[in-house]
Amino acid sequence: MAQLNSLFVARDSPIHRLNPLTKLTLTGLLLVTGLFLPGVLTNYLLFLGVILPLSALAGVGRQLLSSAWKIVLPFAISVFLIQGFLWPQGTPLVYIGPLSLKSEGLQFAVVSTGRILMIVSSFLLFSLTTRPDHLMNSLSRIGFPSNLAYVIVATIQIAPRFQSRAVTILDAQRARGLETEGSLRTRARALAPLVIPLVLSSLIDVEERALAVEARGFNRQGTRTFLVEQAEAAWEPAGRWLMVLGMAAIIGLRVYLAVSR
Amino acid sequence: MSRLREEFTTITWVMIPVAIAINIAVGTLVYTAKIPFVYLDSIGTVLVGVLCGPWAGLLTGLLSNLIWGYSGLNPAYTPYFLVGGVIGLFAGLFSRWGWMRTWWQAILAGAITGVIAAACSAPITAYLYGGVTGAGTDMITAFFRSMGFENLAANFLQGLAVDPLDKAVTFLIVFLIARLLPLRFIARFPHGEDLRPAEVSPATD
Repeated sequence: MAQLNSLFVARDSPIHRLNPLTKLTLTGLLLVTGLFLPGVLTNYLLFLGVILPLSALAGVGRQLLSSAWKIVLPFAISVFLIQGFLWPQGTPLVYIGPLSLKSEGLQFAVVSTGRILMIVSSFLLFSLTTRPDHLMNSLSRIGFPSNLAYVIVATIQIAPRFQSRAVTILDAQRARGLETEGSLRTRARALAPLVIPLVLSSLIDVEERALAVEARGFNRQGTRTFLVEQAEAAWEPAGRWLMVLGMAAIIGLRVYLAVSR
Repeated sequence: MSRLREEFTTITWVMIPVAIAINIAVGTLVYTAKIPFVYLDSIGTVLVGVLCGPWAGLLTGLLSNLIWGYSGLNPAYTPYFLVGGVIGLFAGLFSRWGWMRTWWQAILAGAITGVIAAACSAPITAYLYGGVTGAGTDMITAFFRSMGFENLAANFLQGLAVDPLDKAVTFLIVFLIARLLPLRFIARFPHGEDLRPAEVSPATD
């Protein structure tokens, strides 16, 4: 069972040392560039020219490739089969039985796969190199609500515990004779005995948690100070503004192209 | 504004991460146990919408997909965060309108939410991901594509074939869970009173 954990891989690299805000802005710039610039191969060039080299520099190239492969491959297979063969009208390239591979569908599939690859790998680059608590710390400094920061960090801590509880419940119900394999009907009937105990047991400590966070000043108003200092290179704030300008320029260019056509 | 503040009490803020973890744990459990026809990855979102209110449900749905993506479990889910938010919002609204008090109204509310969810996710699948999701449900999309529907229509019809059932089961499970929880626990939440069956008077708690 896939466990939710932070994807973060600890390394001592220039990318890891960047302020999380700088990496977040870079992710935004990558997404805007890939989604707004025209061209069949734009997203592949972004992946090969920017995302992959940066991940290699961060020492997480292998992790990025293997995660991206696992996520993008099923998409790619689906999109090539469905759009390649089932494109309504178009120029047929190859005939296989009653079906034919259309060139328009194929081109659409190439563009879509590139887009999925770019979206998935730029998110992966960010989460492979950024610790969740560092991200929340730097977001809080620029006025991100502390309640939301609590929600994100707490989820990343709680989810793996619930997931291992799910495995325990699955094993326990099987040991008591619940059939979870076989026909569709058998598997559908396993639904309630698995899901309801999991949800109910997850709700047990909600009240105690509420008392615990209140006792630690959760609703305290006013400014807060930070325990951990955030170091960043001198160029980073200017770099972030440049990237924001870059995003605006790309969106502007796209609007100009669309209007002038 | 005051309505918004009244939804976000401490217990709501504590409930949201628990709810997102429920989404993730039940979603992966259903996937691992190969339970057919449903995903059930929004039970927590619906639970918050029902217990805490529509705006809290909206926030839970939005954050759920964002965290699901950031954690690396599946970054491809991130762009669907609006769909998650809409599900939580409607769960809260239906509960406020009293639809979570009987089992058949809960099923109906879930089915309607499913239609809305299908309408919200179809454009994302069609325009961002080239009309596929990389899951088994792509077979349904392929069927509609082969009948000559364009991407957006085929994705919406695929959603209509899957989402209303999934959300109806989700809402029914939340209805059952709300029945199994102690009244004292439910009363701690901002909108717990929306769940009380008509025959139970508030004073008997």
